[in-house]
Parts: sequence; C-alpha cells; structure tokens
Amino acid sequence: MSSAITTEKLTKDYGSGRGLFDLDLEVQEGEVFGYLGPNGAGKSTTIRLLMGLIHPTRGRAEVFGLDCQRQAVEVKKQLGYVPGEHPDFGGLRGREVVAYLGAMAGGVDRAWVKSLCGRLKLDQSQRFREYSSGNKQKLLLVLAFMHKPRLLVLDEPTSGLDPLNQQEFYTMVREARDQGTTVFLSSHILSEVEHVCDRVGIIRAGKLVRVASLAELHDIRLHRVEIEFAGELPLERLRAADGVSDVTVEDHRVRCVVKGAFAPLLEALAGTQVVNLSSHEPTLEETFLEYYATTSMEPATC
Amino acid sequence: MLRYGFRLHRWGILGFGLVSFLSATAQGAAYVKLAGTTPAEKAVFVKTMTALAFQLSYFLPLPRHLDTLSGYVLWRAWGTLPLVIIFWAIVAGSGAARADEDRLLVESWLASRLSRARLVAWRFATFGLAAFAMAALAGAGTLLGAAGIETIGLDRLGGQVLTLWLLTVACFGLVYLVSQVPGSKRGAQVAGTLLLLGLYLLQVAARTQPSLDNLAWISPFHWYEATDVLAVGGGLSSAGTALSAIAFVGSGVLAWLAFERRDLRGPLFRLPRPASRAGEGRASPLLGWPVARELYRLRWIVLWWAAGVAGMAFLMVGIAHGVVDALLALPGLRGLLTRAGTDPYRVYIGIYWFSIAQALLAGFAIHVVSGWAADDGEGVLSAELSLPRHRWSVMLERAATVLVGVVLLAVVGSVSTAIAAGQIGATLDSAGVLRATALLVPFALTFAAVGAVGSAWWPRAAVGVLGLLVFASYLDSGLGPVLGWPDWLLNLSVFQLYGTPLLSGIYWTGLWAMVAVVVVGFGAATLLMERRELSR
Repeated sequence: MSSAITTEKLTKDYGSGRGLFDLDLEVQEGEVFGYLGPNGAGKSTTIRLLMGLIHPTRGRAEVFGLDCQRQAVEVKKQLGYVPGEHPDFGGLRGREVVAYLGAMAGGVDRAWVKSLCGRLKLDQSQRFREYSSGNKQKLLLVLAFMHKPRLLVLDEPTSGLDPLNQQEFYTMVREARDQGTTVFLSSHILSEVEHVCDRVGIIRAGKLVRVASLAELHDIRLHRVEIEFAGELPLERLRAADGVSDVTVEDHRVRCVVKGAFAPLLEALAGTQVVNLSSHEPTLEETFLEYYATTSMEPATC
Repeated sequence: MLRYGFRLHRWGILGFGLVSFLSATAQGAAYVKLAGTTPAEKAVFVKTMTALAFQLSYFLPLPRHLDTLSGYVLWRAWGTLPLVIIFWAIVAGSGAARADEDRLLVESWLASRLSRARLVAWRFATFGLAAFAMAALAGAGTLLGAAGIETIGLDRLGGQVLTLWLLTVACFGLVYLVSQVPGSKRGAQVAGTLLLLGLYLLQVAARTQPSLDNLAWISPFHWYEATDVLAVGGGLSSAGTALSAIAFVGSGVLAWLAFERRDLRGPLFRLPRPASRAGEGRASPLLGWPVARELYRLRWIVLWWAAGVAGMAFLMVGIAHGVVDALLALPGLRGLLTRAGTDPYRVYIGIYWFSIAQALLAGFAIHVVSGWAADDGEGVLSAELSLPRHRWSVMLERAATVLVGVVLLAVVGSVSTAIAAGQIGATLDSAGVLRATALLVPFALTFAAVGAVGSAWWPRAAVGVLGLLVFASYLDSGLGPVLGWPDWLLNLSVFQLYGTPLLSGIYWTGLWAMVAVVVVGFGAATLLMERRELSR
C-alpha cells in the first residue's frame, strides 16, 4: 500500500513554543486516520501546511508523492477540504457558493451535489449568512465531498452538526473509504474517531506523542471501579496493587481507578467480603485526558 | 467597559485624528505664504480665493473671513473634514450596529447581562469619546498651525471643536440608526452611505442654489457650516448646535427602539417570504467564469457606484449654468473660462466634473480593495486557495475584475456627462471626453494596485494605507503648487498625474507614472501573495 500523506521533520515554529515540531507521519492510501489533540495542539497548523496555505519553517510534507509547497496546485487536485473555521460567503446562496467554488475546481457533478445535500438535508437556496452554524458546516462538507477526491482533509468536520447528521457524515466517510478514498480527520472528540478511524495520531503541544490503531488505544483504557464490602476494607493492599490508583473510601464503599489488567486488583481483594463490584469503562475522552496527564512528551514516529 | 469600547475605535482615532490634525496644521502653516503680509496682498488673496471658493463649492463650504488665518483654516481644513467624517461615520456606525453582530460580539455582550439599551448607550458614549479625541486633535492642529501668526482664543476654538464633534456624533448616530433596518453589514454600509451622501449633497447644492435653503436645514452638514466661531467675528449657531445634539440623542433613542424590536442579525422588518423552494433554482452561469464570477459577487457594489457616478454627473453638469455664470462675473476668472474661445461650460466640466469623477473612481477602487481584505479575514481566500488554483491567478483575476469595474464606471460617468451637457447646451468634443474617460482607468487602477499590495501584505491595513494615499495626494496637489514644491514632489500625488485631459490633452509623464505604479503594484502584490501565509 502506498502513502497518501508523508511528512518528514515538518515544523512550523511560531515562537514561544507555539507551532508544530518535527512531525514525522505517514498515512496510508485508503485508510481513515484520526488526528487527535486538544485545542491549540497543532492540528490545524498541520492541515494548513498540507494544504500549502502556510509555509513550513523546516521539513517537508507530501501528498501522493507531491510536495505540498512546490506542487500545491497538483496536490489540491487530489483533495477535498473542510476548514476548521467557517469562511463567510456573506449573501451568496448555498448553490451559488457551490457553483462559485465548484467552477474554480473545474466543475461539479450537479446530481452528486444534489444527492449530498439531500443526505445532509441542506437547503441550497438559503443565503450563507442565514445558515445556522450546523448548516454552514454541512455546506463545507458538501464542498469537500463534491469532487469525489482521493484524499479528504477534514478539520473538526462534525463541529456544529446534530447527532443525526453526525451519523450520516460517518456513513459518508465509511463509503468514501470503501471506494478507496483516504481520510485525514482532525478532532478533539475521541468518540468521533471511534466511529470511523482505522488509526489515530495524538498530538500535544505541537508534537506527535503517539500513533496507534484504535484497538491499541483501547488497550490503554482506564476503568473506574466501585467495590462494596461487608467487612474490613483491604485499603493497604488496594493501594499497593499494580495499576490501581485514586483510591477513595466512603463508608463501606471503595472507589478506585484501574489501568491495564484487572489481575492485581483481584489479588488484592482475595479473602475479603465483597458485596458488590461494579466497573465503569470511561469514555475515550477520559482515557485521552489521563493519557495526557501521565505520558511523557517523547515524540512518536509513524 | 468604556475602555474596551474606546479600544474598538483606536484605529479610527489614530487615522482620522491624524488627518484632521495634519490638515489643520498644514493649512495654517501655508497661510502666510499664500496671503502675504501686507493689506494689499491680503486683499488680492481674498478676492482670488473667494472666486476659487465658488468653484470649489461642491466640496468646500463658502468661505468667510479669509483675511484672517483662522478664517482660511476654517474654510480649507475644517471645511473638508466633513468628507472624512462621512467615511468614519459609515465605517464606525455600520460596524457598531452590524459588523459586531456578524462577529458574534453583540451576542456575547447581551449574554453577559448587558441590556440592549445599555449596549446602545455604551456604543454611542464610546464613539462620542473617540470623536472628541479626533475633534480635539483638529483643534490642536489649528493652534499649532497658527502659532506665531495669529492668536486663537480657546473659547473660539472650543466652540468650533464642539461643532465638529457634534457633526461627527450626529453622523455616527444617523448611520447607526439606519443600520438597524437591513439585515446585513453590507446593507448597513449602503444605507449609511446613501443617507450621509444624500444629506451632504443636499447641502452642497444649497451652497450655490439659495432656493434649497428651506430643505437644507435637515442636513447636519448645514448645521455644521452655520457655525464659524473659529474665525474672527464669527459665531456659534445655537440652532445648529441644538439640532446636532438632538440628532445624536434622537438617533440613539430611535436606534435603541429599533434594536429592541428586531432579532439579532435580522432586519428590522421581515417581508413575507414565498413558500420554501428548497433545492430549486440554479446558480447564475456567471459564477462559472473567471472575472465574471467576481463581478457577480460585486454586482450590487458596482451598481450602486454606477448609480452614484451617473447621479453626480447629472448634478454637477446640471448646476453648471449657475456656477459658470457666477464665475464669468468675476474678471479674474472670465479669461480662464473663455480662453482661446473655449466654451466656458466645457472648461467647467473638464476641471470640476472630472475632479469629482477621479474621487468617485478612487472611492470605488478602495471599496473593492476593502472586499479583498474582507475575503482574507473572512476565510474566503483560504477556501479559494484550498482548490487547485495558483495564487498568481487570484491576483490576476482581481486586477481584471477591478479593471472591468472601473471601465464600466468611467463609461457610465462620461455618457451621463455627455447627455447632461447636451441638455444644458454645452459643447463637448467627443475625443476629449474619450481621452478624459480613458485616463480615469489607469488613475483608479493606481489606487487598486497600491491596495493590492496592501491586501497581499497586510490585509487589515490595506484600506487605511489607501486612505492615507488619498489624503497625502490631496495635500500634495492642494498645497504643493501654493508652496512652490518641485514637479517631482507634485507628481507624487495621483490626482496630479491625471492632469486635465479634457482641456489640455494627455499628461504623458503622469500617464506613464500611473501605468508603472499599476504594473509594479500588481506585480509586487503577486509576489507577496505567493509568499504570504493564510491564517484562516
């Protein structure tokens, strides 16, 4: 399988530690790659570098073997793009925006656009400034998908969409992948990447800190456990158990966090009178936050 | 809160304050050179300037007390400030009423428990402070220009500063009020422009047509000109002062009532909509073609400017009889207007109408450049460049679009002039009109080229830079000949480069200079566009 996106030591240094630093990344053709990070981590900077909208301080980025700076126009012939912020097309109607940008990209298939608008329930006859932010986002999705590109670069694409339209969007991404389209999707919502991504890169403070498959990411999940005891509480053993942390006590109930395997916890509970035990799997969000809180900042390479 | 509001106007205070300060200082400093020092020299000066003032009545009030520095500064500096104020009031009034809503600032202010009444009061108060800073700078400039030549009492200066301040805030209030009616920022700008230009032109017409006096009293510019307290022997118009204050406060109250009634980001009145036709209809085929698609986006702007140019052409040529007949009564000007047997109306149209046409086309170019800057700030440029198109093609399309727009306006203006001239019986040679029209194109493109550099380099500053260029060109062409500046310095003024093609043929040096600026400007803008980064 060939690479859709390749970056080597890609850096955009805005000074004062802000920007993107030494990004080495490879996204395979046909995969859906989630690019995760909190606000200000460098996700949009990476995407703008891929789009040739800004210039790198050093390093390089390629899309389908084409240099994103020197061959920006050729690169963009392969791309569909959703920006992180809505452009303001003012008084132009939805269909006028499609016609305006569609013509710049060499024309569009009207039937396909109509089908996309139908799926997302977008009224093209409204003026852009009268659209709700959700409808503006839908229009941006239509603009990205309308040329059936080889690569979709989507910067927080579900921002402002209601749950029904989010589901429709996920279906559209899966369909695109099934047809061989590569998707590079940035998000700070982990549940979003759970729906559609094959692999995930986590970026923090401008540095890629981990690249993993979704299954690998699940392995580092945490569990919040609540145990109710009838007799004495084995607090010392619980606190000493591997992977167990944040132990708190309330009457006969103990709450703790278990990271990784359950075996050390079960060993600590041996011989005690457990009345009830419940385990709550935290959201990927919480895993993400915990990961950021505990993981070193050594950059990852993919 | 007040500090933040004041901060919103910081660029306005700096830019317009600087213009008013420099204008007042420069005119004051030039007075002695112009008027001389002996009573005989001053008498000649007053006579000449009075005649000149009549010619300039389309853009300057009629002068009083020209035998004093303060009277001259009141005419030349304070008399031109209303044009600056119109521009500021439109930008600030429509911005406070609508642009800040588009930026969701108003929503967040109202969400923070600020009532609509307090919000309106806050905007008026902060602009009032900003306007006071600008008016005070005009006063300071006047004192500086008069230093060592004439003593200007603080009571007289204070009265004039008060009048200027009241004009500024009244204009702001009126624009803020009419901005409540349409549902968009651009609609507010158009409504504000039409209102203020209409009121201004009414006063302009009334300067030479006394029959319009009964109507002109509704114009705040009429109230402004009623006060000449700065000049020795002048006075403060209490009626004008009171009307200005009433306009300011009254427009604030009415704007508040309108603001209470309407939805955020919505028009004041909603017209019933036809039943939904979701998905129906097709986009204009013009959107499929380079240049045509940009003109389609600018279609309302081009139409409004075309209507303005045509209207001004008919107005200026229409009042030619009154103005020219008055000028012919002055021996000093009779010779100029009838030189070599030329039709005096042709001379008038050649000098005055084409001067106005220059200003209008420069205004159009600046308007288009402000759209380029907005495209950048609003993410439209990024959206375009995320498509497979070269950056140079964006600049090429911009240049071609503004060229087509300027040609269109120049033709509309000249055709209107020819028709209006025919109606008053003036004879215009078609070759001369064609020449003057054609030269308007490189003239306006010169501003567009400088604007292109600004919008590619620092979009937020592009319009400000162009405004400074217009102001510097005006000062250069206005003061340079009087102060005996060398040709090369005079030729830095774009107005000077245009010349008087209807009367004296093409000024080739000026033409080549303009062409050079256009080529170099758009070339530099293309290079800058290739290098620049798009943050949104």
